[in-house]
Amino acid sequence: MDIEPAEDLPGFPTGLTSDHSFPKGVCTPLLRDVQNSDGGWGFRSEGQSRVEPTCWSIKALTALAHADNADERIIRRGLDFLTRAQLADGSWSAAPGEKTGCWLTSLACWVLIAMGDEKYAKAVAAGLRWVCDDWPRDSTWWRRSIRKLSGAGRYAKQNDLYRGWAWTPGTSSWVEPTAFALLALENQDLVGGDLNAPAEKRRRLGEALLYDRMCPGGGWNCGNPEVYGVPGEALVIPTTWALLALRHHPDRRENKESLAWMENNFTKIRGQASYALARICLAVYDRQYEMRAANADDDRDSVRSVQVLAWMSLAAGNPRQWLTARTSL
Amino acid sequence: MANCAYESLTTTVRNRALIPSFQRAASNVVIRRAANYEQELEAVIYESLLEFALPVKDKVVLLKPNFVGLDPLGVMNTHPAVIAAACESFLRLGASEVLIGDGPAMDRDTEAILESVRLREFVRSSERKFVDLNTDDVECVPLTTKASRLKELYFPRTVLGADLVVSMPKLKTHHWAGVTLSLKNMFGIVPGSCYGWPKNILHWAGIDNAILDINAAVPPDFAIVDGIVGMEGNGPIQGTPKACGALIFGDDPVAVDATCCRLMGLLPERVKYLAAAGTMLGHVRVDRIQQLGERVEALRTKFRVIREFDSIRDAA
Repeated sequence: MDIEPAEDLPGFPTGLTSDHSFPKGVCTPLLRDVQNSDGGWGFRSEGQSRVEPTCWSIKALTALAHADNADERIIRRGLDFLTRAQLADGSWSAAPGEKTGCWLTSLACWVLIAMGDEKYAKAVAAGLRWVCDDWPRDSTWWRRSIRKLSGAGRYAKQNDLYRGWAWTPGTSSWVEPTAFALLALENQDLVGGDLNAPAEKRRRLGEALLYDRMCPGGGWNCGNPEVYGVPGEALVIPTTWALLALRHHPDRRENKESLAWMENNFTKIRGQASYALARICLAVYDRQYEMRAANADDDRDSVRSVQVLAWMSLAAGNPRQWLTARTSL
Repeated sequence: MANCAYESLTTTVRNRALIPSFQRAASNVVIRRAANYEQELEAVIYESLLEFALPVKDKVVLLKPNFVGLDPLGVMNTHPAVIAAACESFLRLGASEVLIGDGPAMDRDTEAILESVRLREFVRSSERKFVDLNTDDVECVPLTTKASRLKELYFPRTVLGADLVVSMPKLKTHHWAGVTLSLKNMFGIVPGSCYGWPKNILHWAGIDNAILDINAAVPPDFAIVDGIVGMEGNGPIQGTPKACGALIFGDDPVAVDATCCRLMGLLPERVKYLAAAGTMLGHVRVDRIQQLGERVEALRTKFRVIREFDSIRDAA
């Protein structure tokens, strides 16, 4: 059975599953073919242009372009879509027509920062400013008091003094949006002098929140390390983003435990999205891993998701380089 | 969330005028005995569907199972054997296409969840497509009921465009809502790509109220509940498997959920969102539900709930 709806990405060439051939032989042609006329990408071929798959497509193509100087025009069109999608308050939203920004603001800023192009400086500054002002609704003094009085604190073991970022405004802190905000704010010098101190404060609180929300034994899930006394089970994708956001503290116990969790679970990973991101995570931490045998069926299913295709391409590249480099086309 | 005008009406918006429950005819619910997942389920499901004379000929049917997470032991998700049997049954009834779709709430690697539940082993034909509702194209739908403070939500176009949506939950207790059945299962159509993993905006809106708003905006047309092995205690993920040996069917999801509660030894009138749904979406009262197949008493299996939901237990 198919994993995605009827529309398949066109032209998947079988047998191109080795690490070197994949980005050039599969990724670039497919991403080129499925770019929409407005410059954006959907989650699948002919899908609505959305900010998230557009960000990852740009990221993947840029990583390749850096090596090969390929297809600058496609990337430029993608960047144009991205800048047009920015809302007046500096944020980016998740759906066409949506007028409220969300966690994707961090991702979009991170992608634009990596372009190293002065023309995006204003957009990035506005975006990072929005990120700094976007406080989660949980863990305010008022909410903490209500939680304490109601006894709700006993349900979930977490320190409510720490505050990260939410998926959507006015909700609670979660691991992945916090990790992406931390990645974007690594470049807080772009925010502007008046926001340096608030940005630094938010980074400290955000990092503390990630460490607080680590699952017992290492790794992260969406952000519930324990509910009703039962330990939460870690998942590959949030663990990857948390470890990448916290990579400047490689010697901390939590980083080591979580990396060990990732290494121990690497061979059990089934989904291509998790597999690609786990490879990125281990590569950034300089850990060796054994590539699993390519399975053409798995690949064929996975590349129907544009975003997973981009992650697979990035995994086959040099994660340490594209994670932080500021690239100019 | 912000204003959202319809961008287009290319898909069928399923939002219907709400009819107060007291104006509705009595609902039919069928309970069938099914001891395990190894037995022939297709005949059980096909014959049960015949009781309802569903208008599925040449229609697109969307099966919406409950896939909450990685589940190698098969205890938290709708079992693939039930999904496969439902697929074949709807095709036998003349459906032009049967789609399977869900948007898992806690893990964005939907492919990994599908692998862990072994869906492909059971539903083999490439003509049955799985749609990741988390990343489907979306359209904004106003919420007319306003049970929660949400004014609108984005929903997947696959759901809005399907001719018949079938909610297929597993029979489970839930640590925040009391029970999670065919109404709560509709949380899975809210796309993670818009609202995150988990879809926390629904929690902040109030789970009970969000259930009402979603089911009023996109009402499932039919429900098939996998009660062969359910989950009790700290569900929907960390509870304990509980065998009940039943499949429950109905064209009124509220009546189906109320019947499921009675099967689990729980009082549906005391489940907050079900009690409210019983005034506007369907029937909770036992005298408004026409019971077919097995009697509730014959298969009643008391499910444990966490202490916070002691009040919904039926002491009888």
